Amino acid sequence: MSNALEVRGLCKNYPAFTLKDVSFDVPQGAVVGFIGRNGAGKSTTLKSILGLVHPDGGEVRCFGQDVRQHEREFKESIGVVLGGIDFYPKKKVRTITDVTRRFYDNWDEEKYRYYLQLFHIDETKRVDQLSSGMRVKYLLALALSHNARLLLLDEPTSGLDPVSRDELVELFRAIVADGQRSILFSTHITSDLEKCASHITFIKDGAIFHSSSVAEFMAAYADRGATLEDIIVSVERRELDEGAII
Amino acid sequence: MKALLYKQFRLVCHPMTLVFVLFGAMLLIPSYPYTVAFFYAMLGLFFSFMQGREQRDADFSALLPIRKRDNVKAAVLFCVIIELASLAVAVPCAVLSARINPLGGNQVGLDANAALFAAAFLLYAVFNAVFLPCFYRSGYKVGTAFLKAMIPTTVAIVLCEASVHVPGLAWLNDTSAAGNLRQLPLLAAGAVLYAGLTLWAYHRSAVLYEKVDL
Repeated sequence: MSNALEVRGLCKNYPAFTLKDVSFDVPQGAVVGFIGRNGAGKSTTLKSILGLVHPDGGEVRCFGQDVRQHEREFKESIGVVLGGIDFYPKKKVRTITDVTRRFYDNWDEEKYRYYLQLFHIDETKRVDQLSSGMRVKYLLALALSHNARLLLLDEPTSGLDPVSRDELVELFRAIVADGQRSILFSTHITSDLEKCASHITFIKDGAIFHSSSVAEFMAAYADRGATLEDIIVSVERRELDEGAII
Repeated sequence: MKALLYKQFRLVCHPMTLVFVLFGAMLLIPSYPYTVAFFYAMLGLFFSFMQGREQRDADFSALLPIRKRDNVKAAVLFCVIIELASLAVAVPCAVLSARINPLGGNQVGLDANAALFAAAFLLYAVFNAVFLPCFYRSGYKVGTAFLKAMIPTTVAIVLCEASVHVPGLAWLNDTSAAGNLRQLPLLAAGAVLYAGLTLWAYHRSAVLYEKVDL
């Protein structure tokens, strides 16, 4: 299986946080769950991949090409959903689409119309009139309409109700079903991963703790727990300092 | 670049920016510090940059298949279009003002003539040279950038308006055809300064913004 995304030795130093030598792959046709507790480095890693922040070291390759040297091709081939960030909240969906489609050579209007209908998105609404789940779906519709082959999703299910989360993870499975598209999505909600992820990359304190298929991950940490949540809690949990004043 | 400019006008431009472009009509007020009319265009640009920041335009743009410096180029071009449009609106108002002013001329400061437009180019040049690099140093501190830009711009406004009261510089107030002709070198110098400083502001802003972590 070839890789849609290869991350090698990504480093980023902040005064209070360091991303240490982060390396992992996103195989083609896979849904890779990027998991870790709040502040573990998930968003920094994704932002470094996207070039939103400047990594101090490391390399990112997308479909075999260095993303820094082929920035335009890289961004043409990906779709991004940054959870919790609302772009142009007072603008109508139709207006944002009208602007966005002009940037993509391979924009498919027919596909866009199809996804609008599939996701029940009303184009005449303003972004802030859409529910959180609908906003994620709208961004996915934009990504899929320019034939993105790799979706990078930063906490797309955070803050959504269980039904919306379930709909989205089902959608993720459907997106990768043909084996042509891949998804890397960061989350701290383990139940979402259990439903749709084929691979797991677990980041802890800015370093990759484990990266493999879900089956290998479960086998490797079978002694820590029976479910993903048990394993992750067992690995991440810190003992409360008994001397602490509470 | 066409798509980026389209984005700038559809998603980032604050409505008041376009309204302020029309404030060149203030040149029809019989007596008024006319350079203030151009201050409003700068205020409009500030509103649009603030609107862009509040709507997370930088993050959205960073995900589009464009280079980071192209985004800066589109923003600078947007400023240039707004500034030149404000001048284009002001030109017919200046011609009319010189003909119909019941007081015979502006009693406050610069009259509506070529020297006024030279001053406008100078003000826009100073504004762009300070505001744009200051903003793109952080990518979000739009208020600080505007404040820093307004200090030298206000000094320039006061100097331009006061200049006509200096003995020997009264020819700057001449609205006759001959007077305007004499002021043309000033206008050309203003336009060259504007082009030069705006180009410099773009290059400096692009270099600074490239280093910003979003």
